[in-house]
Order: sequence, then C-alpha cells, then structure tokens
Amino acid sequence: MKETGISRRNFLGNATTVGLAGVVIPALFSNCADGQANKSVAIPDMLDQAPDGPVLKAGLIGCGGRGTGAIVQFLSAGPNLQVTALGDVFQDRLDTCRERIKKSKGQEVPLANCFVGFDAYQKVIDSGVDIVLLAAPPYFRPEHLAAAIQAGKHVFAEKPACVDPVGARSIMATSRKAEGKGLCIVAGTQRRHQRDYVATYQQVAQGLIGEIVGANAYWNGGKGWYIKDPDPKWSEMEYMIRTWSNWTWTCGDHIVEQHVHNIDVINWFTGKHPVKALAFGNRIRRTYGNQYDNFSTDFIFENGMHEHSMCRQINGTTNNISEFIQGTKGSTNCQNTIWDLKGNVIWKYEYPLDKQGKPTRTVAVDPYLQEHIDLVTAIRTGKVINEGENFAISTLCGIMGRVSAYSGKKVTWEEMMNSDLKLGPKVIAFGPVDIDKTVPLAGEAYIPEPKRPDSQKQI
Amino acid sequence: MKKFLIWFLPGLILGALFILGGGKAITATSTNDYCVSCHIHPKADASWKKSVHYETKSGIHIACVECHLPPKGQGYLWAKSTTGMRDLRSKWTKKAESFNFDARRNLEAANGYVYESSCVKCHENLFPSKLSKDGENAHLYYTQNREIKELRCINCHLNAGHLIEGYSHGSNSTFGSSSSAPKALFTEPSRVAEFKNFTENIPKSAVSFNMVAIPGGTFEMGSPASEPFRKEDEGPMKKVEISPFFMAEIEVTWDEYLIFYAQTATSERTADIKVVKEDAGSKVDAISGATPPYGQPDQNWGLGQRPAITMSYHSAETYCKWLSFVTGKKYRLPTEAEWEYADRAGTKTPYFFPGDPNKFERSGLKARFFKNDTTVINTFVLYRGNSSAKTQTPDKVKPNPFGLKNMAGNVAEFCSDYYAPEAYSFLTDGIKDPKGPASGTERVIRGGSFLDQANAVRSASRDFTKNDQWLRTDPQMPKSIWWYSDCFNVGFRVVCEYDQNTGKH
Repeated sequence: MKETGISRRNFLGNATTVGLAGVVIPALFSNCADGQANKSVAIPDMLDQAPDGPVLKAGLIGCGGRGTGAIVQFLSAGPNLQVTALGDVFQDRLDTCRERIKKSKGQEVPLANCFVGFDAYQKVIDSGVDIVLLAAPPYFRPEHLAAAIQAGKHVFAEKPACVDPVGARSIMATSRKAEGKGLCIVAGTQRRHQRDYVATYQQVAQGLIGEIVGANAYWNGGKGWYIKDPDPKWSEMEYMIRTWSNWTWTCGDHIVEQHVHNIDVINWFTGKHPVKALAFGNRIRRTYGNQYDNFSTDFIFENGMHEHSMCRQINGTTNNISEFIQGTKGSTNCQNTIWDLKGNVIWKYEYPLDKQGKPTRTVAVDPYLQEHIDLVTAIRTGKVINEGENFAISTLCGIMGRVSAYSGKKVTWEEMMNSDLKLGPKVIAFGPVDIDKTVPLAGEAYIPEPKRPDSQKQI
Repeated sequence: MKKFLIWFLPGLILGALFILGGGKAITATSTNDYCVSCHIHPKADASWKKSVHYETKSGIHIACVECHLPPKGQGYLWAKSTTGMRDLRSKWTKKAESFNFDARRNLEAANGYVYESSCVKCHENLFPSKLSKDGENAHLYYTQNREIKELRCINCHLNAGHLIEGYSHGSNSTFGSSSSAPKALFTEPSRVAEFKNFTENIPKSAVSFNMVAIPGGTFEMGSPASEPFRKEDEGPMKKVEISPFFMAEIEVTWDEYLIFYAQTATSERTADIKVVKEDAGSKVDAISGATPPYGQPDQNWGLGQRPAITMSYHSAETYCKWLSFVTGKKYRLPTEAEWEYADRAGTKTPYFFPGDPNKFERSGLKARFFKNDTTVINTFVLYRGNSSAKTQTPDKVKPNPFGLKNMAGNVAEFCSDYYAPEAYSFLTDGIKDPKGPASGTERVIRGGSFLDQANAVRSASRDFTKNDQWLRTDPQMPKSIWWYSDCFNVGFRVVCEYDQNTGKH
C-alpha cells in the first residue's frame, strides 16, 4: 500500500494532536437502543492532566488486579485526588491492593475504611467518598452501579456492564437516573479515550470513508488466566469468584467480558448497534470454567449492514485484536489509518515523537489513564459525561452474540430487551453454588451415531 | 339562525376577549376556578384534590390547564380556543344530566383531553431516584419507543390527575381472591346423555353455566357486497356446513374464570416458559395457569357475572384445556364458522334481529343530524350506544334465536381461527366445519364489544387480536403471556364438541 502525500492537516486544519475539543461527535450517550442514530454530544478536551480543584475522594470496589490498576491511574489523573475506602470480598486481595497503593502513590487507606464481604460495596459508598470505582466481577456491576448512583456518587465502571439482559436494563435505567442527578459515569471501554481512536473517529464522522457499509471486530488471542492450584479450603463460591473470568455467570463469557471492546468500537463509529445476531461458538481447548473458547458472530444492523465479529482464546493460533470498517469511499482500522478504495493510505494518525525525535506507536497519554483524566475533568468542570447507556448497549450486543451461539438460534435485540435472563445463583453466599455449570451445546446430537466401516469388521 | 349563533358566538366572544383583554383574558380563563365554573362533573374537582397532582411533595397544586391544555408555544392557544368553543357550546346547548361522566373516565376518552406534551414538560426526569424496578423497565421501554404514538404516560398513570378508586398499575397478586361466587361445591361435572341444552357444573366449585345445543346445518358465511358498513374481509360469501355442537349461553364470566385462576395460578413467572414448552409437546396432564395480572383486570367494573376480560388468547385456550380436564368433556374455543353460524341462528340479515345498520349507527355525519331509533338494537346488544363504556351483566340483553346472549356486543370473542383478510376466498363452497388458515400470527375475534358502534356488531363483522399492541404497557420482562395490559374489551365463549355418531361430547 502506497502512502499518498496527504497529511491529516489537509482535513483537520491546524488542529493539534491533543486539540480534539469542540468537535461534535455522536454516541457519548445515546437515547436510542433501537439501532437508530445517537444523540450528538461534544466531547470535552482530552487533557494531559485533569485540572486542579477541591479534593475528590474515591472508593474502590473490587481490589483485584484491574481495580488496583484503576485506582492508581485515578490517583495519577491530576492534583488533589485521594483514595479513602476499599472494598472486596477477600481480605488478601484488599491487603495487596492497599499495599500497592501505598507503595506507588504514597497514600494509606485507613483500616477503618477497608471493608470485606459481599456488602462491602455499600459500606464503601457510604464512607463519605465522592467517586466510586467499580471493578468487581461483572456479575455484580448492575447492583453496585445502582447503589452508587442512588447515593449520588460519580462512577468509573469497568467493562463489561453486566452479564445478562436483566443487568443491561438495570445499567440503562441507572444511567438515566445518573443523568437526572448530573452524575458522571465513565466506562472502562477505554478506546473511547484513546487519542488515536478518537482522531480516527473524527475523520470517519466527517465523512472521509463515506457511508459505513460493513464492519469487522476481532479479539483473537491466547487463553485466559486461571488458577492452577486452587486452595482446597475454598468453597465453590470463593473458587468461582477468584476465577471469575472463567464462568459465564460471573463474567458473561469472553465474547462479553473481553470482546465488548471491539463491539463497542463498531457501535461508536457507526452510531448504531446491531439488532440481530446469528453466532456459533464452542469450547475445543479450554479445560477450566464453563465458557466457550471461540465465537464467530454475524451481527446485522437495522439497515441490513453486517458486522462480523470473531473472538478466540486459544494459544497457538493467529492473533488479531482490532477492528475494521468499510465505507463507500474508503476503509479504516478505526485506530490510526484510513485507506481509499484502492488501498492507498489517505490519512494516518500522527503519533508523538520520542526524545530522540523518532515517531512512536503509542498515544501521548495511556487510555487507561486518560479515562480517569476525562472523568475528573468532567467532574471538576461540571461538563457531565455519562457513558453508562453506551456500555450497557455494547455489552448487551455481546450477550446477544453469546445467547445466539449457546442456543444455535438467531437472536434479536428486541428479544434481548424483553428477556428475563438472569444468570447466577439465587443467593450470593460462600458455599456451594447452585447453578447449571454444564457447557451449553447448540442444536441436536446426531442420533443414532453412524457405525464406522472398520468397527463393523471387528464384530 | 340559532345554530349559527351556537357555533359562532363562542368564537366571536373568545376572539373579542383575546383582542381586547389579550394576555389578561387568557390568564383569567385559565384558572382552576374558571374551569370548575363550567366543568361541574360531580367528581372532577373532588377527585383532583385526592390525586397526587394536588397533594404534591413540593406543595404545588397542578392546575387543570397544566394537563388539559398543551404547554404554551406547543399549540396552547389553538387548543384553548378550540376546546373553549366546544365547552361553551356544550354549556349552552346541553344539560349536565345528559352527560355520562363515568363513560368518559377511561383511557380512551382521556386521550382526547390529556396532552402528552404537557406530561413530559413537567416530568423532565423519567428516572427519579425512587423509581421502582418495574418503573425502570417501563420508562426504559417508553423512552426507547417514542415513535409509538399510542404509548402515552396516562396508559399507566391514568389516576395521576384525578384519583380513581381501586385503580392500580402494578403486580396484582391478590386479584380474584374474593370471588362473589356461591360457596357450595359441585363434586362431579354434569353428565350429558343426549343432544339437549345442559348446565355444566365445574367440579370443586359452586359455579355452573348453561350450554346450548346448536343443531347442525348449512349457512352462508360472510356478508353481501350490498350490506351497509361491509368490509372487504367479510367476503366472498361461502356456503358452509356446520356439525352440531354445544355453545355456552353467555360469555365466560369472572365467576367461571376465577375458578380456573384459583385452581391453577402460579406466582413463578418462569413457569410461563415451561408452559409454552409443554404446549409444544401437546401432552397435558396437569395445567399450569396464569401468573398474577398486572393492574386491575376487571377495570374495577366488578367481577361476578360480568364477562372475564383482559386474559390473553393463550389464557383462554388454556382455560378450555383445563375445563376439558376437570369435566372430562371436549371444551374449546369456537371456530370462526361455528361462531357466525351460532350468531346468525338462521338469519341472513346484518343482525340476528331486524334492522338496518345505517339506522342504528351513531358515528358519522349523517347520524349526527338524524336521530336514529335504536330501540331494537338496545334490547339485544350492549354496544357503544348503551354500554356506558363498560362490560355489563348478561341479564341486560335478550338472547338470539338459538338462545345465546351477547353474541353481538358486550365483549368481542376469541375464535380459534388465525385471522387472514382473504380467508374466505380459500374456502370451497359447501365446505364442512372449516378451521381457518393453517398458520398465522393473530386470531380472529368476533361480535364487537361495548366499545363498538352499531356497524361493528354486525353478524359478519370480523376483527383480530393485536398481541404486541395489547401488551404495550406491561412493564414486566418478558411481558405476560396470560394477561393483556392494554385490551379490555375482548373475552371468550366456550363450545363443547358433540359427536353425532357416538353421542359423546
């Protein structure tokens, strides 16, 4: 592919890399869950640091690896930011997190504000914080978000939003409640806070690739993490929560838990979401948990457009974590490059130069940090951002794919919006977990099994 | 000249008021006191004062015009002028006693004088903190389906501005627990040895109902092109033969239906899915029945001998299966052909009683100017002209020649046929016991209801279920398969099969 001499300046004038202000882009939050175009909302400046202001106290719910990372990034987002409360169901996870915060940011969370148990989330919310970071397993997210917004807290919520349609509707309604209260919700779908993605989005929104006519979303990677030697003293509930990304009820399966990122990018760029899904998937290499290790989904939009989504968690296969969108005038990888219909590069994101003046491949501010800068900026400038509904929609798209693959049947958005599917046991308590743990098998078995010619000879 | 004055004087006065008094006149004629000075319906003021719009948390009383006129700048002046003229004309030409206020205290009427734009003007935030889970689901549905015009705030909040005693829009788990039915129990179903009218006793209940023996015969199904108000789907007319069967004298009453409900109801909503699966297997040895309704199925009109309403087609079908199960007979819904045959009872005229639909009709321009004589239809049919917009007990009407009551009017009735507008063109002349199209989505309903004008209670008039529309404001997920939240003028009537050869039914 030959690069043309056209630089992004031809299209963006003298705008700088950071200067993404004032461009009206749709889809920061949406009114419509029926595949229609979203509301247009101006995105705020993507600053390198959040502005100064009165102290903002944060509480963290879910002190695992992601939670710990999120709270450290939050504390790095600007001046006068504190963490004053921690909550988890496991003491050891909480202790490790508290230790790491102390080491890397020098802040010591008072022991009186460290809560352990299934009700720890409420105690964190009630401890006098301004912001709550939600990083418990996705199963718990709808309940945690509802409690945080009810109590009037701003929220950073990790993705995915939920694991089932009941949870998705709860997140949608809670987001509306947040809107009514002027509260911010920033979601952990961090590509929306990644400067190269945002710049590419602007080009697409301004029509550089024409009308969008097709899309692909990929998360094909290696196997996920698990715990090889679980402590025999753990109850089943403890084991499942500690290995939450391996169980459908706790994480939603990887098409939801991980692939939601890519599905969300396509929703964001198109300003719509699919209204039908026909998927297949299965479990050919995974040996733990009860989820699949690969999905392939044909997502169909209201206007008939198709989006092919693939996700796989199997080692030793070709990896690809990306998106692709085809337009009538060109195509894009959504991250940094736009091609014309002949394959010539017509636009490229200009990454910042390193100290030696060489071009880099990374954005100036890590998106995992940027999302917290954007959250704190929104709170301190009073320009509310609310990504709750969008991440509920993208999560529900993943769930729609999962349900289709598990059932082998076509699934519609309307069915999802009307479904009472709620995963998980009736009671959340340590002990045995009373749910169906079998791996779903689509369709019907071949009966009777055909006799092989060689086995007939042996008879 | 008098007519001229009645039509134009109000306009003239209003016009003069606007020009001379301007804003002051508009304000003066928009106060509650001014409204109530004419709107003397006995309950309007009192019920408003008992409503949540009077006793608000912020201490503000929501005034008449804030709901009964659109917001300023959104057609306010226009609506004020037109409704004002209409009101003045009524004030001068009609007597208060001639108004049936009760008939106007329902959703359909309220749609005419409550403005959606006014609801959402004040209620900017549809997701307040205290919104319940059901409320969240309902308001999500509302905000995500704004293109559906029939989806209005008052569908669920009809009592917001004026208190309606007993109104509820919520899960109703105690519904039907206090049935008016007598308490002595039947232990056995009725035995029927010959093809004669009989009374069925529902076992383990004190409820019985009459079944009429309908002799077999042949009739012309549909209506001739010359019939007034005829619609395309009523033809082409076909000769149809019907085998003998029993048909219930009246529409299934609440007393009857509540026995089924009490004996089979389940609170487990997941059972819905199980039932559907069981139905697919078609082997029924125990019947799982309805889950609790949402809202007030009888619309607070009362239970007892009034026809049961708001149950879904699926419920009606399940009721028949249950009734067959407990009586050992073959009860089911009538086919469309059986229904029309039984309704006509040998007649070939638009109704099973003498009369011209044109002369009974009250809608349309012609009817406004010519006072029609509706004495005959009033004795046989409960329809818009005489129903007070409610169901009524069966003793209010005379039976048709077969002895069946309320075949026309009261409530429209489910038939087992799938509806297709062109269904009759597929019938061969002389066909015996047709069952309608093999597949479809909506079912036939027949007979018209208390909401219909004379044109729609004709013997040939056809209508059909509207499943999605009738479940619009059910906020449950998934929506109930047992109760319609938005349909209250359809019920059903059972038939019992009779086998000519063996005498079994």
